[in-house]
Amino acid sequence: MWFRNRSYAAEWRTMNRKRALKCDTFCGKRGRSGAAEPLPAAAGGGGVAAGDRGDRVGGALDIKASLEHIMSLLPGKLWSDTVPRIALKHQLYSLHRDRTRVDRHLNELREQGDVLMFQLGFDSESVAVVFAADFKAKVLAAEVGRATQGPVEKFLNTVLASCCDMSVDETKMLQEFLFADSEITQLVKCGVLTVKDAGSWWLSIPNSGRFTKYFIQGRKAVLGMIRKSKYSEMLKSDLEGRQTTSRVKFHIQYHIHDIVGAELVDCIETTAGVLLRFADS
Amino acid sequence: MLGFLFGRQTGLDDPLRLKRAESTRRALCLELNPDRNVERIHGNGINTIDIEVIEGRYMLSGGADGVVVIYDLENHSRKPHYTCKAVCTVGRSSRHVHKFSVETVQWYPHDTGMFISSSFDKTMKVWDTETLKLLLYFPCLFLLWNCNVYLVPLNHLHCLPSVGTKNPKVQLCDLKSGSCIQVLQGHRGEVLSVKWSPRYEYILATASTDSSVRLWDVRRASGSLFTLDQFNGDPSKSSSEAANTAHNGRVNGLCFTGDGLFLLTTGTDDRMRLWETATGKNTLVNYGKVVNESRKGLKFAVSQGCSLEFAFVPCGSSVAVYAVHSGELVTMLKGHYSNVDCCEFHPDYQELYSGGKDSNILAWIPTPRPPDIEEEQDSKKVCLSVIFL
Repeated sequence: MWFRNRSYAAEWRTMNRKRALKCDTFCGKRGRSGAAEPLPAAAGGGGVAAGDRGDRVGGALDIKASLEHIMSLLPGKLWSDTVPRIALKHQLYSLHRDRTRVDRHLNELREQGDVLMFQLGFDSESVAVVFAADFKAKVLAAEVGRATQGPVEKFLNTVLASCCDMSVDETKMLQEFLFADSEITQLVKCGVLTVKDAGSWWLSIPNSGRFTKYFIQGRKAVLGMIRKSKYSEMLKSDLEGRQTTSRVKFHIQYHIHDIVGAELVDCIETTAGVLLRFADS
Repeated sequence: MLGFLFGRQTGLDDPLRLKRAESTRRALCLELNPDRNVERIHGNGINTIDIEVIEGRYMLSGGADGVVVIYDLENHSRKPHYTCKAVCTVGRSSRHVHKFSVETVQWYPHDTGMFISSSFDKTMKVWDTETLKLLLYFPCLFLLWNCNVYLVPLNHLHCLPSVGTKNPKVQLCDLKSGSCIQVLQGHRGEVLSVKWSPRYEYILATASTDSSVRLWDVRRASGSLFTLDQFNGDPSKSSSEAANTAHNGRVNGLCFTGDGLFLLTTGTDDRMRLWETATGKNTLVNYGKVVNESRKGLKFAVSQGCSLEFAFVPCGSSVAVYAVHSGELVTMLKGHYSNVDCCEFHPDYQELYSGGKDSNILAWIPTPRPPDIEEEQDSKKVCLSVIFL
């Protein structure tokens, strides 16, 4: 009843993880030698070490640095002044190993008001992260001179400052924030609110439709590249070196972080580097 | 390890500390061992396993062919190689055997004289272990997904199986009178999983296809205590209570941790979530993608008695081991040839038994400690002398 196809690399990885947990129990201090694992991206390496030290401020700053790194992968020329730079929450999971810690630090940043999180429409699990200052600047710049400027400014100052949810209710808007019906209609028109149900709205990023379109196209193209290769797997370094079709408008690293973080591909450590295998479920 | 023993001996450490440390070490090194087997009786897949709480000696298993088997887990043979033999079975030849697949089996919590089985033939049956005769028979109008007998502290008299069916109502049955004594209404879809809390005997958790998990206090006449909300929304809003979802798909697995303070739920949105039972708050521990394709309830287990609790979740044809509070995937236990349906943790020996569609029950044993260096050298010397002869 022995299962013969265990790869030695996977065994080495699990033994290291188990050794780290055992050290914790017996010694109380984590041994340095077995604890750290090679991470897929160099930028996230500092994040794990800081997290290990239990330095919470360091952890949040590293999440911020990772977010900036991901946002820098978006091409400059496609981005006019209308849309803020967007990163997806699950892209951070490919840079940092401990998901719970990433979630916690991201929530801290959100409570401090540094980042804003939005539910993108295409996937119930995808959450977009933008820097609050960037978002507010871009929205106000787009609204200059238009009739909807007043309600939008009021919205940015009241709702975004206090409400930490990704959606708002009709009762909340009317009673707590004292918006009139006509003002709500104007907010929907300029894209800051999107209809969810009768009487409730998602908070959204105006003009983000183009981003979503290019993102989904690029994701499908990159996954297609992996699926069409032999055995539906490719080395990550090979994928980065591949010439992308015109359907992929963003940097391929952006899409790689996305598919690794969303677990659409399995990351397998090999002696030749990281192998990405299409996970069919 | 020697430090721990010395600490316990001299009284510097609490004895519980050594027990916890060693249990955690053993739970971390589970693997398949060629010396331990479980006899193969079932002809079809195994749906459910239960190990009795009194001695931890007998194990019940229910299969897709309606057969219920009782195994003896203890090794009296003085040899390291041991096959857990089946003591008795309720086979296809028995008059009262279930017509269709058995979904849940559970020992009576006070002793092993009785056990309960529920099945897709819309019945729940209570059996006497010694004679394997049917004691009580609860017919139900709807398909039974899950029945869970209340695990009761030994000084109480009440023993209430709770039954989750295709009907959104959860029924509580009474073993003494043989009828349904209470109905809990509130769900809007089939109830896929039901579990009693090990901490408070009146708290019940139910999971349903309407994506919600409800916690009930059975002493109350009104509805559920609260529904679990994955977004930890504002609890003061009564209108949004109805829309609270624990998962983005069907919720099909429930397990309380050993102390009853936390509840783990799995759903078909490939996520597992950890909740505090006192407040219903989502602890937001991220386990990553927990592959879940099960159309009926998923039976998983949580370790007990270790300093770090582990959750053993069947994922396809392997069992994934997660650290409960940190969300880390520790390892994947691979060994089954087909889908794994259920797993059960033996808290006294830190062993895991898992049953699957390949009709095998696999026993995962902690790796034995390597032999001492002196013993190895002695055996090597003996070998050398034999060769040179």
